[in-house]
Amino acid sequence: MIENHHTSSENRKRLPGIAIAPAGEMRARPRIPRALVPWLLIGPSLVLAVVVIFYPFVEIVQLSLHDVSPFGIVRGFVGFANYARTLDDPVFQATVLRTLEWTVAVVGGTVIISMPVALVLAQDFHGRGLARTLILLPWSMSLAMAAIVWLWAFNGNYGMVNSILEGAGLIAKPLQWMARAETAFPVEIGVGILVSIPFTVTIFLGGLASIPGEIYEAAWIDGAGALAQFRWMTLPLMRPFVTIAVVLNMIYVFNSFPIIWVMTEGGPDNSTHILVTYLYELAFRIGRPGLAAAVSVAMLAIVLVFSFAYLRLAEREAT
Amino acid sequence: MKTGAPESASAGVRRRPLIAAAGSALALAPFAARAATSLHVTVAYYSAATGPYFQQMAKAFEAANPGITVKIDVVNWDTLLQTLQTDISGGVTPDLSIIGTRWLLTFVKDGVAEPLDHFMTPQFRDRFIGTFLEPAEIGGKVYGLPIAASARAMFYNKDMLTKAGFPDGPKTWDDVVAAARKIKAAGGYGFGLQGKAIETDVYWYYALWSYGGELIDKDGKAAFDSPAGIKALTLYQTMVKEGLTQPGVTDYTREDVQNLFKQGRVGMMITAPFLINQIAAEAPKLQYGICPVPRGTTSATYAVTDSIVMFSNSRAKDAAWKFLDFLFTKNPRVTFSKNEGFLPTTKAEAADPYFADNKQLQIFVSLLPEARFAPTIPGWEGMAQAVTDAVQSVYLGKADPAAALKLASTKADQALKGD
Repeated sequence: MIENHHTSSENRKRLPGIAIAPAGEMRARPRIPRALVPWLLIGPSLVLAVVVIFYPFVEIVQLSLHDVSPFGIVRGFVGFANYARTLDDPVFQATVLRTLEWTVAVVGGTVIISMPVALVLAQDFHGRGLARTLILLPWSMSLAMAAIVWLWAFNGNYGMVNSILEGAGLIAKPLQWMARAETAFPVEIGVGILVSIPFTVTIFLGGLASIPGEIYEAAWIDGAGALAQFRWMTLPLMRPFVTIAVVLNMIYVFNSFPIIWVMTEGGPDNSTHILVTYLYELAFRIGRPGLAAAVSVAMLAIVLVFSFAYLRLAEREAT
Repeated sequence: MKTGAPESASAGVRRRPLIAAAGSALALAPFAARAATSLHVTVAYYSAATGPYFQQMAKAFEAANPGITVKIDVVNWDTLLQTLQTDISGGVTPDLSIIGTRWLLTFVKDGVAEPLDHFMTPQFRDRFIGTFLEPAEIGGKVYGLPIAASARAMFYNKDMLTKAGFPDGPKTWDDVVAAARKIKAAGGYGFGLQGKAIETDVYWYYALWSYGGELIDKDGKAAFDSPAGIKALTLYQTMVKEGLTQPGVTDYTREDVQNLFKQGRVGMMITAPFLINQIAAEAPKLQYGICPVPRGTTSATYAVTDSIVMFSNSRAKDAAWKFLDFLFTKNPRVTFSKNEGFLPTTKAEAADPYFADNKQLQIFVSLLPEARFAPTIPGWEGMAQAVTDAVQSVYLGKADPAAALKLASTKADQALKGD
């Protein structure tokens, strides 16, 4: 990141811009000090970010330090009581672990599946356009809708999955998939992976397109097989794209609400909650916005820590 | 605005020639805009009929009260709390809203609900069946009017229960177990048990109360961790273990169990009178009967009311009251309760032949004297969640009833203490 800044500011010196155009042409115009230009340029988006991000953030922190009525009336300052209670809650502790499990499983699964899919779709073959469309099409479906469809498919009484398994003789009687976390949570992870694939494949396809074809030809002439090419050329060159896919997916998946809420509402007995469904339940089912705000600040902290840790790790590996 | 002003003006000057009416509408427009009162009413979605019903009521009311316009917002129950939370914390509440009566205490504590006593004449108060007005009385003041009421009873599949030897339905929990064993042997599901989503706790309260248990004691502490509670939960646990319920109960919401019942796959279930309407529409051939919630050591059922409340920062309280007054006259009430399959809450409504001569509904009405209402206590939702978690852990075979109830009782006390 830091290196990027250097190169871009060096580039800018050489580029003709608004303020740094050749002096002869724009003598009449008032000159804007060079140091101010970047600030003017990013100013509008900075203001927008402050309004859109910081206002809710401050509001959430405020709520988390107060006793808030179920209908959102702020009653009194309670300091860190909401945080203490949250950290003390065994459901919260179990939910934090499950959220990590969920994030790692979904993001890991997505990347592992998307890579070969992207490699295949990057090849030139008959019907590639159709195949690409089919892979990317699910992206246009809302998450809630996808979750509902899968919920039907896994229904214990008339679900498609049970009838296929029964038809194939794999199970003797219908399985109640959503009744227990042992089966429900893996199903939810599977759905999570499925809906994350289109986005990830798109990133990977972009990455693959940026690798010049000649180097493969050269490698082929040098006697490198397909596997060696993948291991020593594609993978290293794809690293920045994998990093982006992992970080973005991590943030999306960590905060992904609809799949779990639609399929199990975090139940039974809180056994499929992730933090975001747990906080929704706290705020809007049980009516404790103060506690929910504390959970949401904790979530933000976790996402930040993990994103930074991953970025640092990726940077160190790259150098 | 463009359509609103001429409409309200033309309602007032209906008899005039068209051109004159148009002229006066133009002339009156600025004046009308200032004088017009607009009411915002949030209603909960009960069924597909709810929205059209309230729109129709709004139109009829606007026609009779020129100068008042009524805007209806239909909100799903699932998101109603969230919607009101946003409205209240943002200070932009509707004038009237339907709420679960159990939320009322928090409303009153937060000072957002308007007491209705100063609007109510003795005659108005006398319109209601007393039992249903009580839950919305807090500190001697009435804060809400019962817009919807239901009690719970057992629905049973006549074919299945006749074959099992209980043609008139089970009387006791022992009967339920005996019948369920026979139904299971015949390949059906005996007792439909709800184990997911809202009211999972309530489904267990039926058994708790029928064994003489209590939810909360006089000091406002959780009291369900009792011999009666353990007995009730052990009953359900045994039925789950023996396979007398549908499999995978923790994946069944009340609606899912109702669907099994409509398909004729489950022998018995406990639910509200609105299932009658659903069966009539979706499974008219189903032969079923309705009987009281089975007895343990005593008989009991659960009754719920939803209230319509006025917000204290409403700027059109008189108009809002007028609308309430209108909603609680006979015909609007009969139509509403008939549409939704609820019990009548006013005396005039109950006297209507539709209710008075309806044998099925009369069973529900006859249960009311022994019905428990959800107590208006702070922390109800927290307690409900604690109990739901507990019964689910037992249905899943992860905990035994005594331990689960003990844990739930601790959590419920915490919820009841705060709010």
